[in-house]
Amino acid sequence: MTPLLSIRDLRTYFHTEAGVARSVDGVSFDIGEGETVGIVGESGCGKSVTALSILRLIQPPGRIEPGSRIEFEGTDLVTLDDEAMRRVRGNRISMIFQEPMSALNPVFSIGDQVAEVMRIHGGVSRRQAWDRAVETLALTGIPSPEERAKQYPHQLSGGMRQRVLIAMALIMKPKLIIADEPTTALDVTIQAQILDLLMQLKKEFGTSILMITHDLGVIAEVAERVIVMYAGEVVEHASVSELFAHPHHPYTEGLMGSMPHIGHDTERLNVIPGTVPAPTHWPTGCRFFDRCRYSWDRPENEHPPLYDVGTNHQSRCHLAVEPQHRNQPHEPLVIREGAGAA
Amino acid sequence: MPGQTPDSAVTDPARPRHSPLALGVRAILRKRSSRIALAVLGVIVVIAVLAPLLAPYDPSAQPDIVSGKDLAPSLAHPFGTDPYSRDVLSRVIYGARLSLTIGILATLVSLTFGVAYGAVSGYLGGFTDAIMMRFLDALLSIPRLLLLLGVLVAWPHLSIGALIVFLGLTGWFGLSRIVRGQVLALKHAEFVTAAEALGASRRRILVRHLLPNLVSPIAVAATLGIAHVIVLEAGLSFLGIGVPQPIASWGNIIYDGADQIARLWWMSLFPGLFMVITVMTLNVLGESLRDVYQRR
Repeated sequence: MTPLLSIRDLRTYFHTEAGVARSVDGVSFDIGEGETVGIVGESGCGKSVTALSILRLIQPPGRIEPGSRIEFEGTDLVTLDDEAMRRVRGNRISMIFQEPMSALNPVFSIGDQVAEVMRIHGGVSRRQAWDRAVETLALTGIPSPEERAKQYPHQLSGGMRQRVLIAMALIMKPKLIIADEPTTALDVTIQAQILDLLMQLKKEFGTSILMITHDLGVIAEVAERVIVMYAGEVVEHASVSELFAHPHHPYTEGLMGSMPHIGHDTERLNVIPGTVPAPTHWPTGCRFFDRCRYSWDRPENEHPPLYDVGTNHQSRCHLAVEPQHRNQPHEPLVIREGAGAA
Repeated sequence: MPGQTPDSAVTDPARPRHSPLALGVRAILRKRSSRIALAVLGVIVVIAVLAPLLAPYDPSAQPDIVSGKDLAPSLAHPFGTDPYSRDVLSRVIYGARLSLTIGILATLVSLTFGVAYGAVSGYLGGFTDAIMMRFLDALLSIPRLLLLLGVLVAWPHLSIGALIVFLGLTGWFGLSRIVRGQVLALKHAEFVTAAEALGASRRRILVRHLLPNLVSPIAVAATLGIAHVIVLEAGLSFLGIGVPQPIASWGNIIYDGADQIARLWWMSLFPGLFMVITVMTLNVLGESLRDVYQRR
């Protein structure tokens, strides 16, 4: 079966005066019909740029480099003309943003904003669009939607606003919803409600979801497959159960180590030292080298490919071919450098 | 409240709507000074609208050029008469009509140009923006009065329509700067990206999402702009190159009496008072609007 979305060698570069920032650098993955795929990684690893690239919302000086392919329902979105692309957005693929306050226009009632999506794509009357908006708001669990629809964003709580954004993303019954950190700005209790809502709606409409987050807990709860991104690349790719049972890439290990566990009486959470390097200057060999606990000097210093490390499990780490180095953890290089340089 | 989900604990649905317009109206009504200003301005507008009913005489009629001229204020002529025996009260009433009309129409012209120019420049950005802004800098470097004087001296006997257009065309530079700045700040707002992600076209984003967010600065600019145009028109008419005779505007009534200001004091005092009051009320209203919009 052909997947719903198939991304091959996606490269999104920002041509700035400081150099070419290779924010997304050769990313490939698929999303099947009705599947939920998670992309996880820390700030600056390229996950949001990947999401925006799918909808072609990259602003200059950024651009999707020639040769990248984003196939959705059999058409290549990269080469689609602007008008056709506009009809895909919000209609076939829609997006939920992180900040529910700033993603809503402050001077329009929420009903107007949900109905607007319908007006853009639906070719329906104002009245019909409004009715559908109220219906969709009800679907996302907003109480007394008729009255709420007339309210302005600042009159709603964060959780309510996120439901409005979900209603906007959902009203055209798209095939794919991209959720960029949809729960990051919310309280923990509301986070769970919103994730439940997304999953319930997904079941109801058979929508595929691409969930972008830095929170492995969210991934564990909703996703079937996980893509771990680091420095503009996919560094590990596996099913959720496989990834949590057998994390391979040291970066994935680090992400898991930095999650709090109930019952584990550790004084401090583990952190991955250092930060993602600047996208204008990715290291030539392994991009995680200086933050890695297992790094060792390889005379070739070649860039690691995605190794197969299990069934449907890939990892961009030389440990796949030289596993003995896992027995010699050490302090990452970045700490030694940091003492002098920073 | 038991049983209520935490995120529904917000304001009750019966709360009134807060569109920018409603906010502005409430701001004006809340302050005493702006309430008074609104009332006074309302009276002047009513006078202007009902001019034919209120004016005791025809404003351009010269009933008795020999014995009816230069009469001091009396019961028959509360504001006196001018050197052509015309009734000053009637002229001031009709002048209100003309001065306000010129103020409003010229400001509409300014708003149209200023908002369109600024919005396009800010939204397109980059090279286009740079060119458009340098052109604006050039225009801004010439004082508005000088521009108008130049035009009016080059083309004397302009019709009132042309005068309105020229007043409007010289008044949009500052506003378009403000609009451009706001659009520039707003176009990277997340709700704009969100609208794009949902398939809104560029035109739709500009018209539906960006411009409505500019209501506040535009309302302030409009209110203050009308006041400015009224003063400018009076100034030009006073110099004899504004509204042509025998049509009455506040500026040219003052002009008619200017050379004998000590003797025919009523000719300058009454239209002048009306003008000062109108401009003051407009400024008070503009400041109130600015206060509430800037606080947000």
